[in-house]
Amino acid sequence: MNDLELVERAKGGDQVAFKRLYDANVDRIYRLTYRMAGSDDLARDFTQETFLRAWQRLDQFRGDAAFSTWLHSIAVSVSLNGIRKADRHRKRERSLEDAAHLARTRAEVEPEVRERLQGAVDELPEIYRTVFLMHDLEGYSHGEIAETLGVAEGTSKARLFRARARLRASLGDAMQEYA
Amino acid sequence: MDDEPMGEEPIDPEVTEMLRGRYNAPPETPRDEMWAAIQARLEPRTATVHSLEDARARRRTASRRPLGWVAAAAAVLILGIGIGRMSAPLPQATAPVAPVASAVAPNAGVQRAATVNHLGRTEALLTLVRADARDGRVDPAMGGWARGLLSQTRLLLDSPNTTDPAMRDLLGDLELVLVQIVRVTEVEGVDQGRARTEMNLALQGLEDRDVLPRIQAVVPAGPGMAGT
Repeated sequence: MNDLELVERAKGGDQVAFKRLYDANVDRIYRLTYRMAGSDDLARDFTQETFLRAWQRLDQFRGDAAFSTWLHSIAVSVSLNGIRKADRHRKRERSLEDAAHLARTRAEVEPEVRERLQGAVDELPEIYRTVFLMHDLEGYSHGEIAETLGVAEGTSKARLFRARARLRASLGDAMQEYA
Repeated sequence: MDDEPMGEEPIDPEVTEMLRGRYNAPPETPRDEMWAAIQARLEPRTATVHSLEDARARRRTASRRPLGWVAAAAAVLILGIGIGRMSAPLPQATAPVAPVASAVAPNAGVQRAATVNHLGRTEALLTLVRADARDGRVDPAMGGWARGLLSQTRLLLDSPNTTDPAMRDLLGDLELVLVQIVRVTEVEGVDQGRARTEMNLALQGLEDRDVLPRIQAVVPAGPGMAGT
């Protein structure tokens, strides 16, 4: 059964069909929301909210784009709104687990350099950061990003260009040091 | 990474790789826990869920009074069980065999669907309770939910159509676990430390008796098998 058939069943209230759509998409949605939010709690909330909204709005899905693309649009919107509201992505506190993780990697890389790299990504404007995370860290194509964000492919490419340029500008020394 | 912007190459591959592995690197997806939480909040699609907070608030409110779906599921169960009882073979030796069999079969089908539905919802509850316990939490709102499921479990155990010994064993184990959850979550004045200890004991029993795998064997597609 393809996605369209599953969506049609789900529109009729079939939770089994909706579960299959969930199974097929949840990994990518969770990964993306986690990349954007940097916290398991927020990523879980955003992922759950994404699927709840999708369930409620299934009638609005016309099949013009792939179901996964439609779902990603919801996920990005939910995540950006949630992050703005919580304002935690820039000032988030490291969890104990993260602290342990950092301790393990201390010997591998210079922590200050790594912190600067991570901080530079945090500081990117939202529209550049989203494209950078999706393309360079999660491997989405510009076509997928464009459909998800509702922009032209050229816009996605331009935003990535600017994201990388900003990272280079703010991290020139650190990147060379790390590399 | 199909197409690079013209005139711009990726930042250093090693830096990209480091960021991929270190920058908000996602852990394994908690698929089952998230689905349990989602499934518990799925409502008829005509209702509007504006946000997760709305859904949570609605669930908290709903858990304090009989839930609509509890009433509906209980009605289906009672109907199935009632019909089963009415159509069960009478003690008279003259009762014809064939008509009884044909009368029971469809009712057994109704009850089977209700049982699968019930097990799916119970699995959702147990998954949430277990996840809470891992975080050292005991959510009192789960008590009302567990109580509703406990009533349905007992209805099923009392049903003459529940003849499969494995199913009766499973329902018996569920009854025990649900009783413990109700007791831990609904008794007022129990301190959190003691509640956590008792909940862990209840969940240990869940693990020892392989309750969740046995439910999943009956509900192969996971929770949410409503009416199938």
